[in-house]
Amino acid sequence: MLRTGLSKRGSKTVSLHKTGPQVAQELVACIGCNECLLACPALDEAITIDVLNRETLSGPISTPVARFARSCFQCGACVAPCPVGLSREAMMMWLKVRLLRSGWG
Amino acid sequence: MTELVAKNVDSADLVIIGNGIAGLTAAVEARRLAPERRVVIITEQSHPTINTPALKQFAIGKLSREQLLAYPAGTEQAQFIHVINARAEEIHAQDRYITLKGGRGFGYGELLIATGSTPTGLPPDMPGADFDGVLTLHRLYDYLDLRRRLGEVEEAVVIGGGAHAIETVMSLLYWGIRVHWLLRGDTFLSRMLDRPASDMVLDSIQRAGARVYTETEALGIVGRVGTVAGVVTNQQELIPCQLVLICTGTTAMTSLARHCDLKMKHKQGILVDDQLRTSVPHIYAAGDVAAIKDPQTGLYAPRAQWYAAVSQGRMAASVMTGSSPAEELGIPWHATRLGSLSMLTVGNVLQWQDTTTTLTDSSKNSYRRIAVIDDRLVGYLSLGPAQPDSLAIKRIIEEGLSIRDIQKSLLKGTFDARRYFSRRRTYSAQRLVTTGKLPVAEELEKRMQAIRNQALQPQANRLEEQMRLARALLAPDPVATTNFFERNTDEDLQLFADPFVAAPVELERFREQRENMSVAAPVGASADWLTAERGFPTESKRPVKTSHIVESTLVKTPETARAGRSPSGSLWSYSSPLPAVKVNKPETPGAATSSVPDTQQRGRKGQFKAPLQKNGKQRPFDAYPSSSLWSYNEKKRMKGH
Repeated sequence: MLRTGLSKRGSKTVSLHKTGPQVAQELVACIGCNECLLACPALDEAITIDVLNRETLSGPISTPVARFARSCFQCGACVAPCPVGLSREAMMMWLKVRLLRSGWG
Repeated sequence: MTELVAKNVDSADLVIIGNGIAGLTAAVEARRLAPERRVVIITEQSHPTINTPALKQFAIGKLSREQLLAYPAGTEQAQFIHVINARAEEIHAQDRYITLKGGRGFGYGELLIATGSTPTGLPPDMPGADFDGVLTLHRLYDYLDLRRRLGEVEEAVVIGGGAHAIETVMSLLYWGIRVHWLLRGDTFLSRMLDRPASDMVLDSIQRAGARVYTETEALGIVGRVGTVAGVVTNQQELIPCQLVLICTGTTAMTSLARHCDLKMKHKQGILVDDQLRTSVPHIYAAGDVAAIKDPQTGLYAPRAQWYAAVSQGRMAASVMTGSSPAEELGIPWHATRLGSLSMLTVGNVLQWQDTTTTLTDSSKNSYRRIAVIDDRLVGYLSLGPAQPDSLAIKRIIEEGLSIRDIQKSLLKGTFDARRYFSRRRTYSAQRLVTTGKLPVAEELEKRMQAIRNQALQPQANRLEEQMRLARALLAPDPVATTNFFERNTDEDLQLFADPFVAAPVELERFREQRENMSVAAPVGASADWLTAERGFPTESKRPVKTSHIVESTLVKTPETARAGRSPSGSLWSYSSPLPAVKVNKPETPGAATSSVPDTQQRGRKGQFKAPLQKNGKQRPFDAYPSSSLWSYNEKKRMKGH
């Protein structure tokens, strides 16, 4: 749960994020059908879902995945098409966090 | 020297039979947990592990073959997992070796059976079952076959009454093929869905364009010069078609259990306890072949689903290497897309109808049914245009949380899992602080200290902090932003960003609730004979590990990224200056006016799609040397102009 503070309307907090264990569990549940990547308006790379899943939570981040993470603007278009109801958007958030921490910006 | 090599090859510490997702996950996980052990996979399959649920998307050309890989190519070599392409035929459990086809022996320290399942198929005496064009969809080769045929098929018959069948029907409709769907019963998925839900699914499939024949069975298949021409049904009807697809379910491959010198218990699958041990020592089973116990009903059944296979593979690896499993197998969970509807079933909705309170709701083109005992959720069924947060609902049932406050939103389908869990976390954190009772786990003490420090700040101070945070996020005030980021030291980030951190939060309470639930739930025909005969405990004594919600924080921006940009505090503002969407429209003349399904038009990335033809149909995929639309167009342009 990421609290981004106050929204412009008033005192409501905006929830953006899932916790690490939840994201890890969702990555396990991903069936690799690619529907999220097909729906993505920001994807301009030949990324396969297995590489993306593998690099979301651990290990080194490859250049195409890093570029994709940077061009992702969290529009949420990937969430609705998922047949098993996972939120790719939260996974991308974790990827971005890792990317920033690893100094790739 | 040669003797040593031969010895090395002919036995291994961990032997895994089958390279499906359960087998390979177990191998990779075992490598991680025990880097020094020798891990060997023995498989008959001649291709690497693939995402089997994605095979239908592959068959209709939405995916290329490379995108099917479940792990990047070469993972086995990189992880030092030895793969032997052979068929395992017998297990000699007393001497701990198996025999491969041809009589070669292979010793094992621990053995995992992950042989998966075989399709049930048509009855063998069905006339015409061997005509060309009768496909039983199960393996990669079946789908490769289907993919090659799709271009020349106009009408197809799909036989079977499960989720597999309905996904096949929808895939064929995507290609504009007329589909006849034969169901044996009069409802769909009768063990998981009730009558209104089944009617809703059948309705939506009919609206999508398929012809549904309930209570209809195929009696025989008619052919012309060796290929399929039609199907004769028990309603005295002949349905003309060029393709017959059989999706009648799967059977676990228990042949190894039958060919074991010690008695390995098996029924519909190989019976295993909650740590995947079979009734023979040092032998485990995972994936479609394993019949595991439903903790709610006490019945053993295989769970032929992707998520179940992955989590069983992980658990098998940790049990075989002697480390404690990170998570439990939990309750059955099935989520899939049935045409335009998303289906989710968690737990047992249709069991114990006389003792549970059942609530249903059918508003807004959707249907939900929940089964409740006291204020605990035991089953959840949802059908509708959108999928709820399915794993969150699984967690609510498994942890036995009270749903008194969220019952209505669960029923109405407006349940917001993130808010619910974050609020729970906030309450528990507050309780920890106000009562002063903290879990006294040794290694957690340091982490808890950080949380305590944060939470024990004076009220006024905290308010001020919040206001500053708000200002920092709303207005690009450089000073405030810097302060905010400085407050989050690297140590804090380390604390919050570790995804596998688990800590016992209210552990006692969860355990108590779970026990209450299992007492309240009446147990059906229990399979305790397994325990009684062999005498291993079906419930392990290891401590219940409760996953702890880790709160995430904003992250410090690297200086380089912040230079020259107004710090707005949001993470996604650091994207590259390149435009996010690159508009590359295919220049196919018929594309704009064609009457293709909406799903085709919507796809923006050409690399996964075949170009459209003038009549609006997609070309067969094999017509192109590569799956990339752009490369194809480039080539065409270069040739033509």
